[in-house]
Amino acid sequence: MSADQAVAALPETTDPVVVRRRRSAARPVLNVLMLVIGLVFLLPLLWLILASFNPRAGDSLALPHPFSILNYHLAFHAGAGAAIGNSLYLAGVSTVIATAVSTMAGFMLARRRIRFKGAFLVLILFLTGIPVTLLLIPTYQIFVSLAWLNSRFYTSIVLASMSVPFSIWLLKNFIGQVPREFEEAAAIEGAGEISILFRIVIPLIIPGILVSAILTFINSWGAFLIPLVLDANPADTPGAVGIYQFMSANGQVQFGQLAAYSVLFSVPVIILYLISSRWLSGGFSFAGGVKG
Amino acid sequence: MAKIVLRRVTKSFGSKVAVDDLNLEVEDGEFVIVVGPSGCGKTTTLRMIAGFEAPTMGTLHIGDTLMNHVPPKDRNLAMVFQNYALFPHMSVARNLSYGLRIRRTPKKDVDSQVHEIAEMLGILALLDSKPAQLSGGERQRVALGRALLRKPQAFLLDEPLSNLDAALRAQMRVELKRIHAQFPVTTVYVTHDQVEAMTMADRIVLMNHGELQQVARPERLYAEPANVFVAGFIGSPKINLIAGQIEHPDGASALRCLATTIPITPDIADRVRSSQSQGVTIGIRPEDILPCSPLGATPGQPVLSGCVEVIEPLGAETHVAVRVGGEIVTCRTPPRSGLEVGSTINLSFDIAQASIFDASSGLRLC
Repeated sequence: MSADQAVAALPETTDPVVVRRRRSAARPVLNVLMLVIGLVFLLPLLWLILASFNPRAGDSLALPHPFSILNYHLAFHAGAGAAIGNSLYLAGVSTVIATAVSTMAGFMLARRRIRFKGAFLVLILFLTGIPVTLLLIPTYQIFVSLAWLNSRFYTSIVLASMSVPFSIWLLKNFIGQVPREFEEAAAIEGAGEISILFRIVIPLIIPGILVSAILTFINSWGAFLIPLVLDANPADTPGAVGIYQFMSANGQVQFGQLAAYSVLFSVPVIILYLISSRWLSGGFSFAGGVKG
Repeated sequence: MAKIVLRRVTKSFGSKVAVDDLNLEVEDGEFVIVVGPSGCGKTTTLRMIAGFEAPTMGTLHIGDTLMNHVPPKDRNLAMVFQNYALFPHMSVARNLSYGLRIRRTPKKDVDSQVHEIAEMLGILALLDSKPAQLSGGERQRVALGRALLRKPQAFLLDEPLSNLDAALRAQMRVELKRIHAQFPVTTVYVTHDQVEAMTMADRIVLMNHGELQQVARPERLYAEPANVFVAGFIGSPKINLIAGQIEHPDGASALRCLATTIPITPDIADRVRSSQSQGVTIGIRPEDILPCSPLGATPGQPVLSGCVEVIEPLGAETHVAVRVGGEIVTCRTPPRSGLEVGSTINLSFDIAQASIFDASSGLRLC
């Protein structure tokens, strides 16, 4: 029977063909498992929020009774506002420095023929693995000799330097994905290196820059040891150090105020993520610039 | 406008020689097309002219200026890339005006020039669009417009039509010729498509394996190819290349090929003899092999009898592959020729229309 004959022999029907997907027996089990894992990670966060509104909060999960914002009031009174301001300064300045340095270094490493580039990149990769505790004492000695102690700005530089190696690798790879034709087209139109970097490359790697900036910001935001050692000025105390001091106060742990302080300390990072997620979800788009 | 001169230019990447000892002069205002198969060195040559690659040896002059180590931004050239290279984060208007803005041209002048070129290219309605919203043809026009706005001393085009469909490619070929007539700027155009080369070029530069094969006007390249490679690359359908031997029956000179002996003139015989070659390759264009009666079309012309193996109807003409004397010969016939696969056909050709090449070197003898 030919193919045409086989088709002609099929019964006529006007009913739509319904395809039912066979449900996997493992699906409900997987769903329950994922729910349990999610709850395990969400429970501490739930405790944090509930405890922050509970004047009698303890170390166990309980509904606030009565529901009160007293803990937040006390946390502000204990210096949460100033500490968050200092953290914003440290994280902000270190992010700007690290991102600027890493973008320029990443561009040169991605695009230019540099002698010993391979060895330099391996060295940078190695540097990302060095723990901060190894560098703290020599850094402290340098700060003493340069009279840089107790300064938020110079502390920010150290925080930035801790993020630069990883950011360079990250941005070098992002820049490497930008088709070279864009830079060549800009060059032949008369653009110099700086113009190409700022007018062509950077606008195209905004998601990459945001990723690098957010990672640097979060690392610097939560930095504890570096600010503790390099800046002993109480007025410069950042949030992470402030929480530590708060926990040690009076030899007791005020869980409710601690929780409120932690929630307040988390808010800027959450806002940052919400604002930047719009950019990050877009990914890279060279659509229309080059074929394919 | 400027003359472009490459003298003994060689480009190597490690041990690989991409361009070997290239000598080329592109006259002021000339439209030169560099053509060849993939990997022949044509794009590398263009990139050296643009300044993206520096010659390993040799000199490159644009105008009177030695350009070997001059960066691209200082060469006053404009380039249209194979993949358009439109900046995706800029609108069409900003893409067009990029070069002018880099040079700090006053905004009023930028706007008027952008408007003028957009109107000329038919993309006025697209000025606020982003490249992602454009079709392939529209993007190509924007890329062309960006190059035209610069008023450079030379245009460089790197396979600008290769990403377009056949119909649009044919349309853009006409458009490019029109634009060049309107803006007679020195142009170097790279393509692998010999149809583009034949239809658009003032002169064609044919390259293979990094070496220059021939530089000539399209009609000369077609009629008098310098070697077997040029003969085989230019022309569609491909030229028939047939092995042959020179014989001297009864003191006269003749070519033996396709199981036939063809008398040749003393002039042809002298040229072949002077090359001291034993064997020759005869190149006959398909349009020069014509069906005929068993007695032949013209007295003195050989008559070949063969069996039709493949028939390719193309509408306006039909290409027929015929097995003659153990070799396949392609000829062109009018449409509706009535031929069938397996049928016998008689063919005739004029040896004076053929090109004869040395069988070992491939170089043209006559």
